[in-house]
Amino acid sequence: MRVPVSWLREFVTLPPDAQTIADRLATLGFPVAEIERRPTITGVITGRIADLQKHPNADRLQVAQVDVGDDAWLTIATAATNVAAGQTIAVATIGAQLPGLTIAPRTMRGVASQGMMISAEELALPGDWFEDGIMQLESSCALGADVVDLFGLDTAVLDVEITTNRPDAMSIIGLARELAASYGSGLRLPEIVNPGRAAEPPGEEPDVLIESHDCYRFVSQRIDGVGVAPAPAWMRVRLALSGQRPINNLVDVSNYVMLETGQPLHFYDARAIRGGRLIVRSAHDGEQIVTLDGVTRTLSSAALVVADDERALCLAGLMGGAVSEVGPATTAIVLEAANFNGARVRRMSNALALRTEASARHEKSLAPALTDLGAARAAALLRDLGATLYEPHAFGGPVTRAAAIALKVADVQRLLGMSLHAQQIERHLAALGCEVERVEPEVLAVTPPAWRRDLTIAADLIEEVARIEGYERIPLVVPSVAPHEISSAAFALESRIARALEGLGYREIITQSLRGAGSVEVRNPLSDEQRFLRDSLVPGIIEYLAENASPARIFETGEVFRDEQSGLVEQSLLTFGFSADPLDEPPWRDSHFLALKGDCEQLLRKITGRDAEMKRTTQSGFHPGKTALVTLDEREVGHLGRIDPRLAKASDLQRPAYLCVVKIASLRAYETPRYRVPSKYPSTYCDVALVVDIDVAARDVERAIVAALGSLCTGATVFDEYRGPQIGQGRKSLAARVTLQRFDATITDEEADAAVSLLLDALRNEFGAEIRT
Amino acid sequence: MTELASRLDDVAQRFAAAVDRANDEQALESVRVAYLGRNGEVTTVRRAIGTLPHTERPEAGKVINDAVAAMERRLQAAYEQLESRRFDAELAASIDVTFPSIRRPVGSIHPVRRIIDDSCAYFMRHGFAVVTGPEAEPDYYNFDALNIPSDHPAREGFDSFWISDTLLLRPHTSPMQIRTMQEHRPPIAIVAPGKCFRRDAVDARHLFQFHQFEGLLVAEGIHFGHLKGMLTGLCRELFGEQQNVRFRPSYFPFTEPSAEVDTTCPKCKGTGSLESSPVGCNMCGGSGWIELGGSGMVHPNVLREVGYDPDRYSGWAFGFGVERLGLARYEVDDIRRFVKSDPDFLAQLS
Ligand SMILES: [Zn+2]
Repeated sequence: MRVPVSWLREFVTLPPDAQTIADRLATLGFPVAEIERRPTITGVITGRIADLQKHPNADRLQVAQVDVGDDAWLTIATAATNVAAGQTIAVATIGAQLPGLTIAPRTMRGVASQGMMISAEELALPGDWFEDGIMQLESSCALGADVVDLFGLDTAVLDVEITTNRPDAMSIIGLARELAASYGSGLRLPEIVNPGRAAEPPGEEPDVLIESHDCYRFVSQRIDGVGVAPAPAWMRVRLALSGQRPINNLVDVSNYVMLETGQPLHFYDARAIRGGRLIVRSAHDGEQIVTLDGVTRTLSSAALVVADDERALCLAGLMGGAVSEVGPATTAIVLEAANFNGARVRRMSNALALRTEASARHEKSLAPALTDLGAARAAALLRDLGATLYEPHAFGGPVTRAAAIALKVADVQRLLGMSLHAQQIERHLAALGCEVERVEPEVLAVTPPAWRRDLTIAADLIEEVARIEGYERIPLVVPSVAPHEISSAAFALESRIARALEGLGYREIITQSLRGAGSVEVRNPLSDEQRFLRDSLVPGIIEYLAENASPARIFETGEVFRDEQSGLVEQSLLTFGFSADPLDEPPWRDSHFLALKGDCEQLLRKITGRDAEMKRTTQSGFHPGKTALVTLDEREVGHLGRIDPRLAKASDLQRPAYLCVVKIASLRAYETPRYRVPSKYPSTYCDVALVVDIDVAARDVERAIVAALGSLCTGATVFDEYRGPQIGQGRKSLAARVTLQRFDATITDEEADAAVSLLLDALRNEFGAEIRT
Repeated sequence: MTELASRLDDVAQRFAAAVDRANDEQALESVRVAYLGRNGEVTTVRRAIGTLPHTERPEAGKVINDAVAAMERRLQAAYEQLESRRFDAELAASIDVTFPSIRRPVGSIHPVRRIIDDSCAYFMRHGFAVVTGPEAEPDYYNFDALNIPSDHPAREGFDSFWISDTLLLRPHTSPMQIRTMQEHRPPIAIVAPGKCFRRDAVDARHLFQFHQFEGLLVAEGIHFGHLKGMLTGLCRELFGEQQNVRFRPSYFPFTEPSAEVDTTCPKCKGTGSLESSPVGCNMCGGSGWIELGGSGMVHPNVLREVGYDPDRYSGWAFGFGVERLGLARYEVDDIRRFVKSDPDFLAQLS
């Protein structure tokens, strides 16, 4: 909300500096997003055009004699076309400072001009919100008065943010009240009494029929003798400074009252109301209304309207209809100051995608008591404009007093950690308009003011006490937390995984969870590319690898989502891997795969204390011949392999990519390894070369060696593979190193030879191996 | 004898010439083998001793041994000279130590995780546990249980991605408050980091996918002063000891009293101005403060919802945007960089 400080000063005494006021508002919970400072303007005074003549030497110019009070007269030549004798206008005198302009004496076609009549734009007001040409003032303005002082044009304007629970503070009076309470100074609120009198109006004084439970109170008032004209300059300037475009005196009064009191109003042209009554009701499905913005809107029964006997006249709390709009022909109006259910107004506003200053207030559920205040303030302003006022009539529920809230002084200390006396608490709450009664020495009965619907429980009051006392006065205390049994295990596991991968040379990335494909759809996506929840981290990672020109080693942990019969299934995954330049290797060897496999093994060993096993598998999106299933203790934990080259091509991957996917929940707790004391006797080894069918897995050969030799074997590793014409179709040559060692004595050559021959027999039998040693 | 002596002399002379010619250790070794080896020339000469009369043999042996000793000394000197020359050559080498280094690939954790880990470490030191939970959460945990019934205007502030009538991507980590309190009895001392989603238009300050860091402490006797104490400590942990923290009244349906938490802008040190910028600090918009997020005392309705007696237990909660913290901590210009994670960004912040 844009708040001219000069308007606030009307109700409360404030420090001179706007920044100080803004800081105070922030400590009260109303942060100021921006302080707009007005340009310096001096030497602009009011004057009256006493005489206006054609310029003797120029058709387009006129020469005015301007009375600026105290028998002072200025001769001013002007090119403006909206000037006439008798007008009260603003005059920049010689030496006056305007934004980017200093007024100097000058001669216009032979006439010495002693100043300049000026427009709103020259006063740094939005030019297109005011009349073309010279700004028109009221004849009631004293002549020779400083225009900047008169209209508060030098005020700073604060852009104040107001939380949704405080619609009462979406008003000048509301914010002035907060500042008054905080500074401990008084709020200068004139007693606002509705000047309407009980008399028989010349026209109809409509009855109001409230059919909907969502209208709590409706004050209507007939006002006659209104002629549509521009509002007084002071009001137009104030509205403009507040960011509200002046329209005409009636619309401006309703906006002015809304900004000042927080109560939105609506004026109906009295002639437009058919059947002599206003009805607050739900719209009929398909009912149409042309709103003030000229748009024809089709309503559903969710909309709330104010109608006459024939048609909807107004969208309740949101926007008026064109059919009852006040215009040049309007002579009498019916004022509406109503209170609606905020949720109903908000739903209607959302459904129609229409938001107004009025709905922004109504949707937060205003206090019903504001209706009478708003009507009275509008009536007073319209009376000043010469209107005839009739008695206001209130419909709907009465304005009820809120129930008193019991507040224990001890609870203030308990929640804030700051000790305050009952008197201090009383003083702070009273400053905000609460009625406070001491029911017991340390218990207060607090009745919130009518405009504060947000105060319903003791905690609400404690916040008020803290706000006025100042949050900064609450002392800092470090709590001592008692022991508890809440586990951090899931977080710790993921943390360890990330640190382990960091150690293996992978960089962590975060990709988008919302993607163009998946099995779980979002109902209200921002775009089609973000329509689905990801079911895998792989696409995001491939996209990342494709976007980056150099090879990269990366990982991500995150949630993926699947739609299953039981409902939505959410799972935490880890995916890591790299893109790398292709190696010059035969098709049966892939060192990148082996490197990834090694990283996977080391990671799992580090995280679980166990050794992973791999076997061939197929997986969608992965190379059919270069993918392994990863198991730990016979439990599947994930898979790894090269990304299918066709997918890589489709994803614009420049290089082969290798990824490993691990289901984090499938990882068992870390098993502490136990040290195995090595044999103190020397070991010996022998290398075995064997030719086997190509589908014999190296790991199976290693296992067979260990199985054949038992405890005598302390190591069996396949270290080479070869395929080629010398070996034969469908066959491959493997070389394995077998380490032999005894724990009780040095192994003898005879023992070693016997073991190897046993081993070779086993390999021949199990794999049909041809031994080449 | 004289003949032997002259043969020996000849051998020694040729040996000396060969040693002088040898310019590396391998050549020197060949010379040694050719003259002093098992079948070398000296051996041939030594064999000739057998042809001498017995009386001359000892003298001849001594002459040969002396000659061999002299040759070996000469060889040793040649070896040492060669080695010394090699060291000279090696030590004469010199490189530009400022030449760019060769680096092996290193890993790194994402700056978002680093902030989360650092924050968790601080809270764990103070006895808090770290809990995590699902990203797709029923509206009950996201709103209803947090004192935001369906018609509440505050729901508008959580423009969420909905999956069904009741299931949505969590717009904040606060569901973890409810889940934890329903599962355990006080004392509750947790922090809950996690990914959240809101239908915000993405720009330099907003993401629709971001991380939040939630905290909750509920026990007997917990008050607002404890909140101020812990969060001030957190900011000093993350930004340094000089850090100030400011609490401003605000409104959240699940806390009462509520507060926005700001901390000194680390870029301008709270002054709001930078020497390099005439328009003021771009990190804090010239205010000198960085907004961290919301906090407050847990609303009695929330405590009641999980079966805690608000007259007995009190507590506080807070929720910070992690990427927002990251902007300030690493002086990042655009929040989207945290999602883009480009290699240079990761390398610079690791
Ligand atoms: Zn700054």
